[in-house]
Amino acid sequence: MRLLPALAAALLIATPAFARDLTVIGFGGGFQDNARKDLFQAYAKESGQPVKDDVWNGEMAKVQSMVHAKDVEWDVVMVEAPELVRGCEDGLFDKMDWSIVTKAKFAPGGTSTCGAGAVGWGVALFYDQSRIAHGPANYQELWDLQKFPGKRLLRNGAKMTLEIALMADGVAKDDVYEVLATKEGQDRAFAALDRIKPQLMFWKSGAQPLQLVGSGDVAYAVGYVGRTANAVKDGGHYPLMWNTLLYSYDSWAVVKGSPNAAEGMKLIQYMTDPKPLTALAQDWAVSPATTVVANDPAVRAKNPAMVANHSDEGLFIDTEFWVEHGDDLEARFATWAAK
Amino acid sequence: MRARLLAACLLAPALLLVIGILIVPLFFDLAMAARDPELRDALPRTATLLGEWDGRGLPGEAAFASTAEELSQAEQEQRIGALAQRLNFQRAGLRALLLKTARADLAPPYHETMPALDARWGDPTVWLVLREARGPLTPLYLLRALDLDLTPSGDVAPVPLDQAIFRNLFLRTLWMSVVTTLLCLLIGYPVAYTLTTLSPRWARIGIGLVLVPFWISILVRTTAWLILLQRQGPVNAALQGLGLTGGPVQLIFTRFAVYLAMVHVLLPFVVLPLYGVMRRIDPVYLRAAASLGAPGWMRFVNVYLPMTLPGVAAGALIAFMLSVGFYITPALVGGPADQMVSAFIASYANETLNWGMAAALAALLLAMTALVVGAARLVVLPMPRGVG
Repeated sequence: MRLLPALAAALLIATPAFARDLTVIGFGGGFQDNARKDLFQAYAKESGQPVKDDVWNGEMAKVQSMVHAKDVEWDVVMVEAPELVRGCEDGLFDKMDWSIVTKAKFAPGGTSTCGAGAVGWGVALFYDQSRIAHGPANYQELWDLQKFPGKRLLRNGAKMTLEIALMADGVAKDDVYEVLATKEGQDRAFAALDRIKPQLMFWKSGAQPLQLVGSGDVAYAVGYVGRTANAVKDGGHYPLMWNTLLYSYDSWAVVKGSPNAAEGMKLIQYMTDPKPLTALAQDWAVSPATTVVANDPAVRAKNPAMVANHSDEGLFIDTEFWVEHGDDLEARFATWAAK
Repeated sequence: MRARLLAACLLAPALLLVIGILIVPLFFDLAMAARDPELRDALPRTATLLGEWDGRGLPGEAAFASTAEELSQAEQEQRIGALAQRLNFQRAGLRALLLKTARADLAPPYHETMPALDARWGDPTVWLVLREARGPLTPLYLLRALDLDLTPSGDVAPVPLDQAIFRNLFLRTLWMSVVTTLLCLLIGYPVAYTLTTLSPRWARIGIGLVLVPFWISILVRTTAWLILLQRQGPVNAALQGLGLTGGPVQLIFTRFAVYLAMVHVLLPFVVLPLYGVMRRIDPVYLRAAASLGAPGWMRFVNVYLPMTLPGVAAGALIAFMLSVGFYITPALVGGPADQMVSAFIASYANETLNWGMAAALAALLLAMTALVVGAARLVVLPMPRGVG
């Protein structure tokens, strides 16, 4: 009689981990709320496979420790381009299975060894028109402290800030990364930043530019266009200077060692297909990497703030450059900013 | 003897727990500051061959060949990232070199085709960097954490001035922690004393008021300061309303805001031990001193203060150690010149995945804290104390 409870206890302890639901991880915010409806749950309905989603903020340590401990709890993650490249080289992401995901449907630059393009994002210059009638229209004007007084807000890091400094100093868009790769170019960027340093402030979290411009703490800011466009939709007066756009693509990737890898690939194929993406584009201003959707005139008309609408005016953030020079330049930026 | 044995048995589980889940992992973590496994893991044969090379001129064809083959294999098997990052950390540009070589289709003789692909393979200093990375241990991370660098010949040289950040960072962390601790003591001492003079009912309410902030998340408390100290926030409005300032003053993202938020968070940690010690001070000593003719200030300095010293020491210790490890508060309400070391440790561990640097900075922070606390104890120990 003692055997039965002992057996039950042994079974409970020895139960293997049940195959868990397909888990997809994003950066959260309004995008994820809408993606949950239009992408994740739509896939769950069509395939019958339950999909769970959660949030992260891009800290690769979590993925690394999961993969090394062989206890992978995430299947599909949305990653930014530099992390995708490094994670791929580090063996943290699986190589994309192009037999499941159709490579041809993506815009150029929208695919890489371990990732399939998800959405584009960008930063651009904006200000509060209800406080300032006429603000700077490009980076050269942003550097003009006499004509446009007030505090400026840039990202607290070398990435994007150094390109902006060079463009304000007169470097043409197409030459920015070539110049920045040289020591003279880097010195030039920091010298340009020194010129406006007294009026310069930095943001760390994506919500800060809009918050600080809205509260009047800063006059002009370079912040995420998606959030700003949505604030405009909700009644704010934040004109976005599209010729100051810096943009990149986030990608979907499958974590190496995930038990649901094959299903994850199928989810990525679904999430980058025209029909679900078009549905998402109706609810949230995204810039998809899938060519057909990005070129769809109806989608473009509905979301004038889509990065794809303005990418020819903007500067594509060079991933390879930042993976190579990132450590050095970020260290130099941190030193410079602390002075 | 039996009592000692019993005591040891009762202590053993707690001791084992502390050693097992605190000391041992800490030791392994800090050991990462000196470990250098990336080259040996990614290119094992090359690591051995480089060890046999004497470091003069260029290594032989065998080393070139093994490098080319193992690099290509590592890249295909997605094992190359860690090595690329490690070498790029020591010298910028090596990551691109490794990947270019790994993806290229090279043929023997490698000591000719590799420099033909990229001139850096003909540079002896590049090979010396690779050779330096082969060993099981390296001083590179600890040196960099002190703004020093390893030259290819093995000497130690200072890092270029525009990248030298850590020495200032450590001094700044130390300074800010000391200032925060002193501010907490200055504010917390009168608060604790007042609590001891209240009637039991009001004392309970007072303690409750000190404890309530503990129940609120630290993040909420810190972001509350963001809203209070804004240009259009209540503090600026009050200052302007009282006529103290002409226009809105920049309060947020300054050192002042960091001190304010940190003291706000750490004050209960100082008030509570002080209160505990002060409560047990028997007022008879103060009356005795008064009866012997001591004026008020002398009673305080010669009798009361030494008796509260254990509480002061405990509170200061807790406040100092906590503020040395702070990084969320300075990150949220401070400017770029107010960041503390822990922010960089977090960034190296979480974002860049440079565990060597994270461990080196953590080890140095631990050493600095231990030194300061040890020095403080040496100063405080000989001071006259009272009971309690």
